[in-house]
Amino acid sequence: MEAGSAKWQRNLFIASFIIPTFAFFCIFTIYPVAKGLYYSMFDWSGMSQTKSFIGLDNFKEMFKDPIVWRAIGNDYFLVVGKIIGIMVIATFFAVALTRFNFKMAGFFRSIFFIPNVISVVVIGVLWNFIYNPQIGFLNAFLSLFTDEKVTITWLGFTNHTIWMLLPPAIWAGIGFYMILLIAAIQNIPASYYEAAELEGATQWRQFRSITVPLIWEQMKVSILNIMMTTLNGSFVIVWIMTEGGPDNSTQVMGSYLYQMAFRQYHFGFGAAIGVLILMLSLITTVVLQRLLRHETVELS
Amino acid sequence: MMNKKKYAAMSAAVLLASVSLAGCGSSNDNASNNASTNAANNGSTNATNDGGTNAGSTNAGTNAGTNAGTTDTPKLTGDFEVQYFVGGYGDKWWTKVIADFQAANPDLHVKALGGPKINEQNKPRWIGGNPPDFVYIDGPELNDRQMVEDGQLEDLTDWIKDAKNVDGDKILDMLAQQPQQFDGKIYNIPLVLNSWGIFWNKALFKEKGWQEPQDFQQFLDVSDKIKAAGTTPFIHTGKYPYYINGAFLYPAIVSANNGDYTVLQDMAANKVEAFESEAVKTALGKIVTLRDKGFIDKASIQINHTDSQMLFLQNKDAFIPNGLWLPNEMSKDIPQGFDFGFIPSITQDAGQKIVANTSTATVAIAKNAKNKDAAHAFLQFVFSKAQASQWAELSGAPSNIKGDISASNAPSFVKDAAKYLTDPNTIVIPTITFNADVDKAMQDATDALTIGKIDPAGWVKRVTDVVKKVAK
Repeated sequence: MEAGSAKWQRNLFIASFIIPTFAFFCIFTIYPVAKGLYYSMFDWSGMSQTKSFIGLDNFKEMFKDPIVWRAIGNDYFLVVGKIIGIMVIATFFAVALTRFNFKMAGFFRSIFFIPNVISVVVIGVLWNFIYNPQIGFLNAFLSLFTDEKVTITWLGFTNHTIWMLLPPAIWAGIGFYMILLIAAIQNIPASYYEAAELEGATQWRQFRSITVPLIWEQMKVSILNIMMTTLNGSFVIVWIMTEGGPDNSTQVMGSYLYQMAFRQYHFGFGAAIGVLILMLSLITTVVLQRLLRHETVELS
Repeated sequence: MMNKKKYAAMSAAVLLASVSLAGCGSSNDNASNNASTNAANNGSTNATNDGGTNAGSTNAGTNAGTNAGTTDTPKLTGDFEVQYFVGGYGDKWWTKVIADFQAANPDLHVKALGGPKINEQNKPRWIGGNPPDFVYIDGPELNDRQMVEDGQLEDLTDWIKDAKNVDGDKILDMLAQQPQQFDGKIYNIPLVLNSWGIFWNKALFKEKGWQEPQDFQQFLDVSDKIKAAGTTPFIHTGKYPYYINGAFLYPAIVSANNGDYTVLQDMAANKVEAFESEAVKTALGKIVTLRDKGFIDKASIQINHTDSQMLFLQNKDAFIPNGLWLPNEMSKDIPQGFDFGFIPSITQDAGQKIVANTSTATVAIAKNAKNKDAAHAFLQFVFSKAQASQWAELSGAPSNIKGDISASNAPSFVKDAAKYLTDPNTIVIPTITFNADVDKAMQDATDALTIGKIDPAGWVKRVTDVVKKVAK
């Protein structure tokens, strides 16, 4: 009897944590996703009282739309660019700030983290000024080395403008992943490195054979996180800096969703893009996890 | 059905009563209106802004007075909700007019739903079939054409035909710019009369000895000189290409069509032939001329309107396509001695009329409004000379009521612009709203054209592809 009551109490205790969380999850995640799926099958302006069911027409339309394909391409370009850029630089900084004991490490750690504290909106505006062809920092800097004033329109080449969004995106992301990796590196017992040193391993060898395998879990999480936040959140930086322009050249899925749903009054189509983002995020996560897991097995 | 009939009967009764009674009060109102405007005019030279607001409030007082008389018989009762977006024109006028209307109708409970985010905030109510009674269509996420297509707006065609305002004047006769028709029907009435056009700095032109252009050839000639002097002739905002479309391309199309603006209306009605017309090609050719002569500032493509306006104010560029709100918008950043020159269009040939492409914001009644009587009465209240003159003063933009501008305390550039808009030698394009997809396609295509990515034929091809899809 007593045991049963204790069990019941335990269950109640657990339930008091699980049920509210689950309810919130349902209300704020499951319901919107289901609703998004539902709207994606309608032709709806987003404001009218009536919407007409059109099945999968929005999706058919979507795959015929060249801008959607460009947006997908741009999104994956940013994913790949950010993963490489952020991981290389963040790992480099993390190793530099932990493995080579020097005085200013704490100072630099704070400095590198600052962009993470700044809102993405501010970052976008800031980099817009850097790229400004007339009064921007970049052109002014380049002009120091040339006779004539440099007037490159950094955000104006329709074929390469998406490249210009990489530096701010990487710059804004490094700090967090650097801290994550620093924490991981600091967890590695110093004796491993000492042993390696005695065996005559170089710094590079130590990095490859001790640091990387032992922080691989964190690197994996970082890579997945960069991928997911980029697919879902590249909208902000794009919208602040270019609004998808010029001539739709920097459109990502998120910005095109917004453009279609709220500027061109195709809410159903926008919802369909939302579903696309969800699907691609899921697929990419699974694929990436597979790839990275393979790597772990090999290393351990 | 019953309800509808009842409402119709009631509104007819209210209208009849208010029109006849308003007629009684109108002479009184006009007289005091004149008096107050005189006062404003006399005062404006040496008095401060306070004089203006005082003059405004006298108007309001008389209005309230006349209306108090009107409401003796069929009183407006119940709740009445007004939705208004607060943007560049501010909300001073809205708070004033709503307070005046409330004072005139003490039994009515007027609720003001205003703010910069009101369009988004009230969206669920429109979707749910429970919208505010009266709406001011301005700002993001509200588009009159879309609202008409969505069946959200009350058909005002029959009502407006002979509707009179609180002073007894026929509303349609008072409008400087007639309402836009959607398939021959009227749903919304323009409240603001603003214009796109080309600006320059008169002071700079005088100093450098450049001639202020009156037609396209003069514009090209002076631009050659400007370029030779080391200044870039023309800047626009490539991030928001509707500026160059509204201030340069559309007037150019009308000019190329011998001043006939129906071509733009046909474009808005998604007629493919209109987009393929010679007029469109000629107009696009003018952008190509600017591009090929190197007149367009290279920075244009990537900057937003504020950045382009800043560069213009710094005299880095000589001309900018913009709207009449520019001086107001940038008032804090205008350098000493900067003197705005303005012409509604620069693309006409010598001897051709100037074309003014208007930019407006409209008001409408919700189809599902619960208090349509009050909404109609509010329309009659708003489209009066007194309120129009207040609009010009409090919002710094010309109102769509004829002849109010010179009499008001509006800023001088607004009055200058009004000269163009009321001049018989100016072709005033009435408000046109394009389909949002077509509009976006035209904007993107114009951007691509200005940087040499496509040619005029490419522009037409791109846009007509979208038009065909939309028209399906």
